[in-house]
Amino acid sequence: MSDTEIDKILVSIIGRSLKAFTDEMSVSMEKTTRSPILCEAKDFVTGLYDAEGRMLEQTENLPILSFSLGPVCEHIAETFRGDVHPGDVFFHNDVFTLGNQNNDVAAFKPIFAGERLVAWSATKGHQADIGGNVRGGYNPNATEVWQEALRIPAVKVVDRGVVRRDVWDLIFANVRLDIVQEDMRAEIGACTVGERRLVELIERIGLERFEVHKAHLFEAAGRMMAAEIRSIPDGVYRGEGRVFFDGRNPGSKYTIRVEITVDGERIVFDYSETDAQTDGFVNGTYTSSASATLLTFLQMVNPDIPHNHGMTRGIEIVIPEGTLLNASYPAATTFGNHLCPPNADAIMRALAPVIPERVTAGWNNLLCSLSSGTDPRKDDTYVDIMFMGLKGGSGAMADCDGYDHIGMIDASGGLLDQDYEMFEQQTPHLLLEHELRCDSAGAGRHRGGLGVRTRYRVGGEDTQLVTFGDGDEEGAFGAMGGGEGTLNSIELHYPDGRRYKTTSKDMVSEVPAGTEYVQEAGGGGGWGDPREREERTVRREVQDEVISLEAAREVYGVVLDAETLEIDESATAELRGEG
Amino acid sequence: MSARYKLGIDVGGTFTDLFLWSSEGTVATTKALSTPADPSLGVLDGLRAAAAGEGLAVEELAGRVTTIVHGTTVTTNAALTRGGARTGLVTTAGVRDALEMRRGIREEQYDNRYRNIEPLVARHLRRCARGRLDYRGTELEELALEDVRDAARYLREQGVEAVAICFMNSFADPSHERAAAEIVRAELPDAFVSVSSELLPTIRFYNRLSTTVLNAYVGPILSGYLESLTEKLAGVGFAGTLLVMQSNGGVALPASVRERPATTLLSGPAGGPAAALAYVRPHGGDDCILADMGGTSFDATLVRGGAAAMYAESDLDRLRIALPMLAITTIGAGGGSIGWIDEGGLLRMGPRSAGALPGPACYGRGGEQATCTDANLLLGYLDPGFFAGGELALDVDQAAAAVRQGVAEPLGLDVEAAAAGMYRVINTNMAHGVREITVKRGVDPREFPLVVAGGAGALHACMIALELGLPSLVMPPTASVLCAVGMLRSDLAHDFLRSYVCRFSELDIGRVRRLYEEAAAHGAAQLAAEGIAAGRIEHTLHLDLRYAKQYHEVSVPVGIDVIERGDLEGIAALFHREHDRLYGYDLADGDTELELINLRVRSIGRTTKPPLVEIPAGGEDPGAALKGERRAFVPEEDGFADISVYDGHALCPGNVVTGPALIERADTTLFVSASFEARVDSHSSCLLTRKET
Repeated sequence: MSDTEIDKILVSIIGRSLKAFTDEMSVSMEKTTRSPILCEAKDFVTGLYDAEGRMLEQTENLPILSFSLGPVCEHIAETFRGDVHPGDVFFHNDVFTLGNQNNDVAAFKPIFAGERLVAWSATKGHQADIGGNVRGGYNPNATEVWQEALRIPAVKVVDRGVVRRDVWDLIFANVRLDIVQEDMRAEIGACTVGERRLVELIERIGLERFEVHKAHLFEAAGRMMAAEIRSIPDGVYRGEGRVFFDGRNPGSKYTIRVEITVDGERIVFDYSETDAQTDGFVNGTYTSSASATLLTFLQMVNPDIPHNHGMTRGIEIVIPEGTLLNASYPAATTFGNHLCPPNADAIMRALAPVIPERVTAGWNNLLCSLSSGTDPRKDDTYVDIMFMGLKGGSGAMADCDGYDHIGMIDASGGLLDQDYEMFEQQTPHLLLEHELRCDSAGAGRHRGGLGVRTRYRVGGEDTQLVTFGDGDEEGAFGAMGGGEGTLNSIELHYPDGRRYKTTSKDMVSEVPAGTEYVQEAGGGGGWGDPREREERTVRREVQDEVISLEAAREVYGVVLDAETLEIDESATAELRGEG
Repeated sequence: MSARYKLGIDVGGTFTDLFLWSSEGTVATTKALSTPADPSLGVLDGLRAAAAGEGLAVEELAGRVTTIVHGTTVTTNAALTRGGARTGLVTTAGVRDALEMRRGIREEQYDNRYRNIEPLVARHLRRCARGRLDYRGTELEELALEDVRDAARYLREQGVEAVAICFMNSFADPSHERAAAEIVRAELPDAFVSVSSELLPTIRFYNRLSTTVLNAYVGPILSGYLESLTEKLAGVGFAGTLLVMQSNGGVALPASVRERPATTLLSGPAGGPAAALAYVRPHGGDDCILADMGGTSFDATLVRGGAAAMYAESDLDRLRIALPMLAITTIGAGGGSIGWIDEGGLLRMGPRSAGALPGPACYGRGGEQATCTDANLLLGYLDPGFFAGGELALDVDQAAAAVRQGVAEPLGLDVEAAAAGMYRVINTNMAHGVREITVKRGVDPREFPLVVAGGAGALHACMIALELGLPSLVMPPTASVLCAVGMLRSDLAHDFLRSYVCRFSELDIGRVRRLYEEAAAHGAAQLAAEGIAAGRIEHTLHLDLRYAKQYHEVSVPVGIDVIERGDLEGIAALFHREHDRLYGYDLADGDTELELINLRVRSIGRTTKPPLVEIPAGGEDPGAALKGERRAFVPEEDGFADISVYDGHALCPGNVVTGPALIERADTTLFVSASFEARVDSHSSCLLTRKET
């Protein structure tokens, strides 16, 4: 077989290998990083890209981070044209040159076959701190990027295997926590793992064959996606999602508007009618917003489509600059990743009438907090994102319940809770409760996923709490007669008895030790009339205390004996209108 | 005096394999159909068949068996089919749902129909008790004994058969759990009680909880099964020692595994590595990769330095187990794996399997989908008249029709090209299964020979070896029952974990030595109680190390002498090297400190292994065993050719077969590809090496 002839089987082999490589890079990140945001929650992605920056394969623990790495490879290749060498490493986080969020800092390593640049390996993780006004980021008062973080445009930090000490020190002199440089070393290590594997593969099969077959891999993904788009009826569909409170103007409200045009094998998501950008940090970057669109759409198509460049061939995403989803320089944008949930709402609502079997009811929107302070046990600063508290339920579908405690749609179950005991080692706090929350799910023939209730006792000194998110004014929407999920909330119960309910974008300083932190993450939206839910399922869920007796009767129309939980058939039939 | 016997019994999903070794040096293998409802019945059937083979009544044979080593899948199946005991949980107030939430993961992020697994304990059977320890084990709130009592009574009313007890931070102080266990045992005297601080006293609540619950869930099943088995064996006059294979590759008395039933979750395949080693050692190796391909699945196991590699934690069908288990990767690739075309037009193999019924299309039992075995038949690797020694005639036309319809036509290929493609894709899948346990763990597979096992493995092994660049392969004469063979070659083994969290700058090496010695003494005492003589007891030590402020460790094997010398630099060098190999970098030239987390001590009781049957080598010419020629696919040339077919039973030690060739045995066929030549060694293994080019 000649080098240029397509061997269909080799295409499968290369595809399978690339996936194994990016998974291995992911393991490397998980096992070597220090920040719990990375090693516990897995808030990072890994990927391999060709010399032109086209995606070969990715492991997307957090999909919202994923779809910008390729374009940044291209950007680096252009910026450093003629000056990219084996052993180089580049860093990047800049949201105005294709980054998605300041704290999501990426490392890139070029991969060579002999003299020739053939690919890039890249990792991007949410770093515990990257400078700016507020420890850990998420400055709700920011109006410009410089108040949020250190900007790192494409920067060469390792030159032919030698660390550029001056550049390295300049970056980390502007970062609060020492572990961040260790975690960036871990990102480089993971890139090296990907580099070693890809070089081995290319040595085994030959560069020419690799290149030819790679194109075919793109082709296969493109064909799969084309078939999916074709299966959606042609037409123009519109939907909206709402954003509450920009962090600066109480009562403020914004709308994301999408117009989706399906035409044969092409689909266009046009956000031209979306509201203008805010003057605070509730703004998207093009990359974070387009990632949100893509990851939502990917949930409506065959999940087996390989994630490579070919996949995006028929998809166009139009987001004019100056809108909420693509703010102009030098706007603050740290909140941008979290515009994904309302963006997803808009897409689900737009497509629900045409492909009802593929969309979900609303997902619980994220409401999150970040605590930081001094841990006297270690005499050291910590930064922790309360991952376990933020994860609510997903929306139900026409034929199945939502997923309990999955978390926001941007991660779709890829972001993990901290292990409880690790949480108590890594922060000075004490966990009091983390349980599924009764009656939190939107009711329906299929109910939404359940939300959770989380309480911890604040420990340590100099504690600062930053909240960011939404979903405290509007619950996840129900579909086809299904109910709404419950609201998000965060409350502080101070030792002196005072209570403070935070806003969704808040900063609370000097939180005294002994304060009880109480958070509720809401459930997902339900689908269909709850009175059509199977009676035995309702009974079992009452026994398991995820639906109350009252809700069973009032909402689901199922009457149970309070003691024995036997179904009262006649009363139930009457309530359900079957009598 | 009449012969004495040792018996290895491996109960699998389809077959119960027996390997019988007599003190006169003869060996015999037997396969009986498994009886999943009560696997001990199948064991008895096998025993009868084995006795018949020896010309003995079953009582005569049973009375002469001194040792039975038994591998069982009863706990595995109970977990996989959710057929375990009705189980309750008593846990700390506030964390009732950790078991079910599984840290909030959804493994398939883009599939909104993907469901969470049913928890092994329903929510209403998960009961909470107030009482709290902090991260160091200091009591913050007393255990509310009344809560425990209420929980126990509710669970009793609910008819639970097993109870797991797992409290926050109990790894640091077990006293709350002990007090709770006492109450639960009093309230539910017949229930199986599993206590997390006894089973797994290490940090990470979710891992410990899930493991403890699994242990409870399979406990009554294993106890019941072992009782039934012991009774049946006694009933036919067996008065020797029964040992049970554990997931860590060691064996133990029934009483030990009944305490820790979760240690048998991989009991079935765990025998393989010891047998693989026995056949590899004559060729100078202590390392190998064991590749066992059966009807529906492919198990790959890594053996290094004379022992199978271990995982500190694994997932069994999305259930987390944090006990040391052999590093076995199972993927859906077997003779019955079905070939199909995905929406992008790419060929896939498995994981769906046609199983035993209807089976591959060529079985003629109504199977219509193209399977791996159909492809192998069309490629000429299988003789339609000599499958299973001629017991099952294979239908070539049915195979061709299935491959044409399922694979060839959609891809626009002819049937033979399609079959060749199926063969290559499944080989790639298996090669990636091997990668999972090697490359992905930082091990270069090219250093190791591949040991071939299972009914289907020998047709694919050469191609797996080529894809991974492995230098050689070994196919033992007992390949099709290798796990049963290995059970007779396994040592007793017990694992102990001791936590000592300390930076290197402050490390008290004397304390490390004392912790090691204390664990080793414990292990020695347990082994002595199991009848192992002091001279046969050994211990190994691994240190779990990390860079300061990391949260995951790398487990590094360390010689006892290094500890005795107090050679911290030597330990650090081992760690740096391992870290770079696994994760792409090390911090050897920085000022980052190392931190010790755990000592892992394994106490091993060496058993007497039956010697391998040895036959002196003769000449190289295999001509006497030549059966003829058959047209078969030669992957290296991407085409068909007439290749030699040998009778595996007629080959003699010393014979050399040059690939491409087929070596047929009643229970399996070996394909020697064009890149290899096979030499029969004095133990009747085929040793395949790359041809000189």
